[in-house]
Amino acid sequence: MSPPQQPTSINPNSLKIRLAYRFLHNLNNLNTKRSNLDNTRIRRSHRVKLAAYASMAYVVGSRRAWSRAILWKIRNRAVLARFKRVDHKITTPLRHHHVHAGSAKRRTPNYSNPKREYSDPFGNSGQEVKLRKLVPGSSTMDALGLLDETADYIKCLATQVEVMKNLVDLYSII
Amino acid sequence: MNPGFMQQQEAFFSVNDHHHLQDMFTLGMVDKDSALNIVKPDPEMEECWVGFDAGAYGGQLGYGYLNQNTALKVSNIHGNASSVLVSPKKRKADKGQTLQVVSEKEKKIKGCCDRDSKLTRQNSNGNNNSNGNNHNKEASTKATSKDKPKVSEDQKKDYIHVRARRGQATDSHSLAERVRREKISERMKYLQDLVPGCNKIIGKAGMLDEIINYVQSLQKQVEFLSMKLASVNPELDFNMDNTFTKEMFDSSTSEFPALACSSANSAYFDQLNSLDQVVSYRGLDMGINSAEMGLRSISSPISIPETFMDSSFFNQTATWDADLQNLYKMEFEQGRLIPFQSHQFTGLNDAK
Repeated sequence: MSPPQQPTSINPNSLKIRLAYRFLHNLNNLNTKRSNLDNTRIRRSHRVKLAAYASMAYVVGSRRAWSRAILWKIRNRAVLARFKRVDHKITTPLRHHHVHAGSAKRRTPNYSNPKREYSDPFGNSGQEVKLRKLVPGSSTMDALGLLDETADYIKCLATQVEVMKNLVDLYSII
Repeated sequence: MNPGFMQQQEAFFSVNDHHHLQDMFTLGMVDKDSALNIVKPDPEMEECWVGFDAGAYGGQLGYGYLNQNTALKVSNIHGNASSVLVSPKKRKADKGQTLQVVSEKEKKIKGCCDRDSKLTRQNSNGNNNSNGNNHNKEASTKATSKDKPKVSEDQKKDYIHVRARRGQATDSHSLAERVRREKISERMKYLQDLVPGCNKIIGKAGMLDEIINYVQSLQKQVEFLSMKLASVNPELDFNMDNTFTKEMFDSSTSEFPALACSSANSAYFDQLNSLDQVVSYRGLDMGINSAEMGLRSISSPISIPETFMDSSFFNQTATWDADLQNLYKMEFEQGRLIPFQSHQFTGLNDAK
């Protein structure tokens, strides 16, 4: 993909533009909803991260397994967080610690399908298991699907990283 | 979309006759992939890849369905003519030759991945050359083939494209395994292109390690950047406010210097009361602009200094391009922002 020289020839349907648009939309939602959230920094960065992943998944849509997995996780996470908040109110005064631990735990989701552990095409299956842990929603795929999803996921993730980098630069300049 | 795509289409135009493309235009599915698919209709093997590419371009259509559709349609239209029919005939050919054909197809698929090489090949093939080549190959395969080519009904059925070479196993399991391995190596090559610094590594284990590291680093980068954004973002509304006025001033001086409207500043600030719309709009603009800025470094996502360079040269008047100005114009025409006199506003901005 050759980068367009004139700015008038920006493709409005390119992945990057759509990602940026969706991500900023999510950030705006986050800002408008900010009042009823507790505004600790960790929680906020977590929310921004969720917004990033959600924008990626939203842009890609439901065609890909990883985006479906992300959307599903985010949606269910909202339900889970409601329960968790009630738990926190009842039990623990140390919210920081728990939120942090929860996010760390949630980052590595459980893959509960040991039956689908295919015979490795890669030589040693430890790498494949690692890759399955990294790419969301790839626990129930064979190796071909895993590689497909990985490639698409890498593409989107790299683009998202670019968008976020540019945003950070822009805001830090301002 | 991209100039390469257009050129490729034109090349395709020149290669095939016009009815092809017109039919496909009426179908509304002229795409890079489907255009490629006419040359080698190969539904099962390419569906994944087409979807794969469509991930990049975000077409919401069912590509596989379209591919089969185009292939079928084209084969119906052209009963016996040109390069459409090459590959099914080849598929019916002898053992050694089919494997060769498959490797050639894979080359073509790779060419689908990196568009430029494909383009150069198309261009170098020129007008009638590729057709002639295909006909030659067709003739050679026909000479050695034993089966009669049954064209149109075979196009739906075929899903095993590989036959064994001499000396290789011929039962269906090993054939399928061979197909699977080839597909895996295809995807590995594609991943190798995606992951930077993965080109030098030979061997699947090292490549997988590199891929895993890359994904991990990307995820960590997302985390880090979200932390940064979260630390920046609380002051973002206020900042957006300021920069919005500033850039409105910039665009007004650059684009509407002659506009002399007698509107008070208070009207402008009344318009700012609907700040959420304005802020979201402004955010969109910044997103577009920053994305456009980052397009230059799309091939090297890790290179932080490059992007730093890019955005450190971020000059609001310089990169305030025509698109955004059009957007502003739209905004003006919608009347959400009343046009104002630029001199007046400079005074206001300075005072502020």
